[in-house]
Amino acid sequence: MRALYRKIKKYRELVWHLAKMDVKLRYQGSVLGYIWSVLSPLLLFSVLYFVFSNFFKMNQHHYALQLIVAIMMFGFFNEGTMAGMMSINAKANLITKINIPRWTIIISSTLNSVIIYLLNVVVIIGFFAFNKFLPSWQAVLIFIIFSILLYVFILTFSFIAAPLFVRFRDLSMIWAVMIQLLFYGTPVFYSLSAAPAAMQKIMLFSPLAFIIHFTKTSLVDNHYPVLFQTVLFFLISFVLLGISLLLYKHLNKRLVEHI
Amino acid sequence: MSFALEVNNVSKRFEIPHLKINTLRGAFVNLFQKQSYEKFDALKDISFSVKKGEFFSIIGKNGSGKSTLLKIIAGIYTPDKGEVKVHCPLSPMLELGIGFNPELSGRDNVFVNGLVLGLSKKEISDKFKDIVAFAGLERFIDQRLKNYSSGMAARLAFSVMIHSDKDFLLIDEVLAVGDTEFQAKCTEYFIKAISEGKTIVFVSHGLDPVQQYSNRVMLLHKGEILEIGEPQKVIQTYLEKCN
Repeated sequence: MRALYRKIKKYRELVWHLAKMDVKLRYQGSVLGYIWSVLSPLLLFSVLYFVFSNFFKMNQHHYALQLIVAIMMFGFFNEGTMAGMMSINAKANLITKINIPRWTIIISSTLNSVIIYLLNVVVIIGFFAFNKFLPSWQAVLIFIIFSILLYVFILTFSFIAAPLFVRFRDLSMIWAVMIQLLFYGTPVFYSLSAAPAAMQKIMLFSPLAFIIHFTKTSLVDNHYPVLFQTVLFFLISFVLLGISLLLYKHLNKRLVEHI
Repeated sequence: MSFALEVNNVSKRFEIPHLKINTLRGAFVNLFQKQSYEKFDALKDISFSVKKGEFFSIIGKNGSGKSTLLKIIAGIYTPDKGEVKVHCPLSPMLELGIGFNPELSGRDNVFVNGLVLGLSKKEISDKFKDIVAFAGLERFIDQRLKNYSSGMAARLAFSVMIHSDKDFLLIDEVLAVGDTEFQAKCTEYFIKAISEGKTIVFVSHGLDPVQQYSNRVMLLHKGEILEIGEPQKVIQTYLEKCN
């Protein structure tokens, strides 16, 4: 029991340190450094806000707030899945030379995007403060829970994609296109109610759309997801994570020989 | 008699595709044509054990399976058949500076490397001064690794490695790199480790250290054990049969 505790503690330190080094390396040599992690979504926000509030006359309730929340969440998913997928390959120099569990590498790479997301949450808070808009505590709770669920989905994806990517490098190209499609298929810059009623139901099957849609409506309109829906969604997420871990265990065999 | 390491009937086969397939299209095309593999038996039914405190050397020509065997003992590869039992804490010394990143400072690299080698953060902090002093890099430790000479980087890596050593060392010709001064430091450490009664499994091309320090030597040839025994005798066989 003590040995197990020590093992977990040991790997926790390794995971955390690798994540910190990833963040450090990412902005090495750039003048603005960490500011980029906030600046790039803000630039995307400015473009989308300008286009959609001027040309398309989006007149949703607090469009700017909805947009910034959605962009940050989508960015988190995008960054996390990409980093997770590439993680084992990127750290090949560790895995082929010493026996450390591969999950430590997958988790540390995705933690990097968690750190960036947390910085982005500060920006979101800034936006709400600037607009003098105070969301209800239920909405904030939903925002926190759904952010955690988003991370669960990132892990679910990464545990399967990382070992697969070692064998099929095409995955990064395919996923980049998928992310593009998801960006349009998810209510990021539009509201779900703009889609035809039948379409809305189908879209909500996408976990990403579910999370982003209900976070937006909760925060801005106090329109919460039904409890039953949320609980079901919660359970499904963790079942998927379990399946992903089983697949990971299977895919993990003889992995080193393929790198 | 207690063992530090038991290797029972370990076999490892590599199947190397004739054309490495790394793309989905490649995999699709290959669904319809029979994939041809180069089958290579790196290890065939290897069994041996190493006692605690023993200095055990493995010799053999290139491609005899030495490195594969070390990687299996270190847990990097999984054997196809058989099992490996390691009974005391193992320090794999297969390569210097695992996880070193040229863009990070010497300090950060010491922590990455040390954590990977199984030290805790606190242990590294406690030993940090010693590690840096041993490498003789006090003035440079907060510079990026890419500004180090290769000798400096090797010294730092070596220093972390020996400060993280456990009771059982797995050494793969680390001593082959570096200038004479570095080699002298390695030999010094080596002798100290032996006198402390550490268990050592040593793989080498150089026959001199093998003959000098080993209690027993194992000769591998084409993935099989040709002989295990007295250093003198096994080296004799090696020189006769494998050249």
